[in-house]
Amino acid sequence: MEPITGKALILACSAIGAGLAMIAGIGPGIGQGFAAGKGAESVGRQPEAQGDIVRTMLLGCAVAESTGIYGLVIALILLFANPLVRLL
Amino acid sequence: MEDANFIIRFLNWLMSFDRKVLILAASAIGAGLAMIAGIGPGIGQGYAAGKGAEAVGMNPKAGKQATMVMLLGAAVAETSGILALVVALILLFGNPIITQEGAVLVLAASAIGAGISMITGVGPGIGQGYAAGKGAEAAARRPQYQSNIIRAMLLGQAVAQSTGIYALIIALVLMFANPLIKLM
Repeated sequence: MEPITGKALILACSAIGAGLAMIAGIGPGIGQGFAAGKGAESVGRQPEAQGDIVRTMLLGCAVAESTGIYGLVIALILLFANPLVRLL
Repeated sequence: MEDANFIIRFLNWLMSFDRKVLILAASAIGAGLAMIAGIGPGIGQGYAAGKGAEAVGMNPKAGKQATMVMLLGAAVAETSGILALVVALILLFGNPIITQEGAVLVLAASAIGAGISMITGVGPGIGQGYAAGKGAEAAARRPQYQSNIIRAMLLGQAVAQSTGIYALIIALVLMFANPLIKLM
């Protein structure tokens, strides 16, 4: 039986927390898919405006991506530059 | 203090088990959590199927084009489910965590964390399915522009997949190149 150290507990919780942080990706996934759907619909309606439609869609998708990136950054910090163990 | 005592008692109870038992149990939970991602493709493809049926009903002459766009989009929407399945199968049949050195609590928690991370697949699954449905609708309306519609749909779906890929990377890092172990 290994003794429980405080450090092990913090690192264990960091692993779970990194996983939880990534759940944020659900939102951008749904939102960007909605944008893609509306984009496909618009191209079908006005094929000659394809370039403009796709540009606007990608711009919106880039904004929608931001929260997913935030989640990724927190997960990477928890894994590779854990600030919590340094506070011990 | 009562709550803290409970947590410590729980952790002591956990640590009274063998190292392998703990990691394998956590891997089982992680595999189950990963498969929750299946919700996304399920909803998304169902939406695409509904829109496909609607599109064929609206313009039966373009039924082939609409069905083709729907199937292509639904196949892309399946990606997140497959990625989650792969992570779950790795945890079950090719468990990389069991052979790793380091604190057992961290390794067990990493298995659970990898599973939780894959839940993200819900989002891309729903979103890409929505795009597939709208693509089928558009193809039924203007079958002659099928290739343009497919191009716009696939481009958007590729962007929608990004968060699912991030989650996969975090899950793989937790399983194969755990940086937390080095901190102990």
